Amino acid sequence: MSRKPTYLPRVSLVIAGFVLAGLLGVGAYFLPVFEVAATSAVSSGSIPDPLPASTQPFTVLLLGSDDDAKFAPDRYNTQSMILLRVDPVAKQATMLSIPRDLWVPIPGHGTGKISTAYQLGGPTLAMKTVADNFQVHIDDYVWIGLSGLVNLIDRIGGVDIVVTNPVLDDYYPSDINTRDPYAYYRVAVLPGAVHLDGVHALQYARSRHGDIRGDFARSERQQQLLLAIKDAHLNAADLPFLASAFSGEIKSSIGLDRLRQLVGLAGQFGGPNISRVVLVPPYTSEAQIAGQDVVLPSWPVILPLVHKSFP
Amino acid sequence: MKKTVVSAALVVGMLLFGVGTYTAMGSLRGSGARVDHPASSLVSVHGTLYLAQGGAIYRLHGTSFKQITPEEGWTQPAASPDGSHLVAVKRSLNFADIYVLGADGQVQARLTNNISRRVEANHWAFYPRFSPDGSAVFFSYDSKDPSNTYRVDLAIFSRPADPAAAQSTAWTQPNPYTGGDVGPLPLRQGLLFTRYSIDAHSQVHSQVWLQAGPGAAGTALTPPADDCAQAAVSPDGRFMAMVCRHGQLRAADLVVAPVDMTSGSIGAPVTLVSGRLVAAPTFSGDGMEIAYLSPASAGGPFQLWTVGSPAARKAGSPVQVTQNLGFDSTSAPVWLGT
Repeated sequence: MSRKPTYLPRVSLVIAGFVLAGLLGVGAYFLPVFEVAATSAVSSGSIPDPLPASTQPFTVLLLGSDDDAKFAPDRYNTQSMILLRVDPVAKQATMLSIPRDLWVPIPGHGTGKISTAYQLGGPTLAMKTVADNFQVHIDDYVWIGLSGLVNLIDRIGGVDIVVTNPVLDDYYPSDINTRDPYAYYRVAVLPGAVHLDGVHALQYARSRHGDIRGDFARSERQQQLLLAIKDAHLNAADLPFLASAFSGEIKSSIGLDRLRQLVGLAGQFGGPNISRVVLVPPYTSEAQIAGQDVVLPSWPVILPLVHKSFP
Repeated sequence: MKKTVVSAALVVGMLLFGVGTYTAMGSLRGSGARVDHPASSLVSVHGTLYLAQGGAIYRLHGTSFKQITPEEGWTQPAASPDGSHLVAVKRSLNFADIYVLGADGQVQARLTNNISRRVEANHWAFYPRFSPDGSAVFFSYDSKDPSNTYRVDLAIFSRPADPAAAQSTAWTQPNPYTGGDVGPLPLRQGLLFTRYSIDAHSQVHSQVWLQAGPGAAGTALTPPADDCAQAAVSPDGRFMAMVCRHGQLRAADLVVAPVDMTSGSIGAPVTLVSGRLVAAPTFSGDGMEIAYLSPASAGGPFQLWTVGSPAARKAGSPVQVTQNLGFDSTSAPVWLGT
């Protein structure tokens, strides 16, 4: 009686080979994301608790910096600080812009502008300074440099913005890809609904000299830009394409799973369920301390607002 | 031998499967918009239009585009009353100048000279428009504030269309630190333009203003809360099209209202397009249609659209005229002929 030949092991081997090839293809596709994740990792001891379960609200501190030759590497001022709270179930988001010149206690460093916290102690100190002063829990942070933002916007094909009034600045810093970090040039972003590439979107979000509302107007424009980026119909398959553009221009404590979830969530948030808060007077007032122009917080009115928006 | 061939074929198949998976992942990307060089439109448009894209001016006739200037910062063309000439802006890094062009795009004269060696001493000149009789050109220009070098506000000036003449006339005095007055539209009854203001709550508003003469007080035709701008007037002067954002930062509706420029009043506005970002409306030569720029999808570059105007007395849906182009939405289309 002859034994019937069995093909099962060979078929299994072939199937395994195809599955492995497919996984390698997916892995190769997402390789830039893994590389960014590897370079962005922050030791767990320096960062507060990991993010809670995906259905629970979470708060992320968004940091934007000048990353030019005026500063030592990774010792930048944060020109932009936005506290973002996302409620995945209610599909509500709140953005709170923190004035860069806000005069606050910086743990271990006395009192200073809040923008210097990152310079003094990196993202950990920036998060702690915001958390302590605003009495909020912050789950994670994302830091992005100027070139990173420009690359991100270019990679998504530009953004649509409604420019509310002409943004004109005769002293706009020419500090990207330049030998002189103190050079400047003129900017004119004309009003109306426009499609902006990365460089012009950055000009719009960064300029402040020609607007009497100074940093407050800039904060509004930065929030506008974030919303415009959100409109870019990103999905998980976009992540490698975007990650390859950053090359050290983004740092985050957010894990890949959470990043993928954030990208997926972005498209589900509409205009009405995104609250935007800018700390204009009476929440703040302008002053001069030690020869510096600073913004003084009025905590009795700020904290109730923050506790309501970031419970 | 047969086994070897089969094994090799399977290995090749696996490799191809891996590459295919990689490629398929890329095709799932949701972002990125295509912008082509203008060649043809989706539908034919009567008359002739001039539009700007990527620093060049294009002429659209029927369904065919023709590039009439090189990609050298050209934008914001406007036609002379007889349609034989254009004025347009040529924008550089720190300054912008106004030129007179032939209808074929050939430079005939430069009307301003705004370049300077010192960065902050350069000037901008935007939004040129011929006066109704063609003798003057109106434009927005940043005259400097000697007491505060950070202040840069555009004001509206006029100058003779004759390149040999040199004297300019200041028409408006903008609200300080708002960016200034833009979009001059000279009419027989005066000057129509957009003015910006900042209220007590730090909110920016735009209004359409009418001003009888240089330095005159002027009248706001629209309330601050409507945030209207970019006005265009029908050839018979009966309707005004504009873009209004109604206090929103992500809205730009196309609104049309009957208007009486003699009394400086407008009637009840009608929203023709909402829920889209609309820019730069322009009436057709016969006043029956309005051309405007708007993205075909959220976050995308701006395409050319048309919609019936109230003068046509028939409601119509907007018609998308182009796709996969990327027009400069700060440059209103010029629409000549019927």
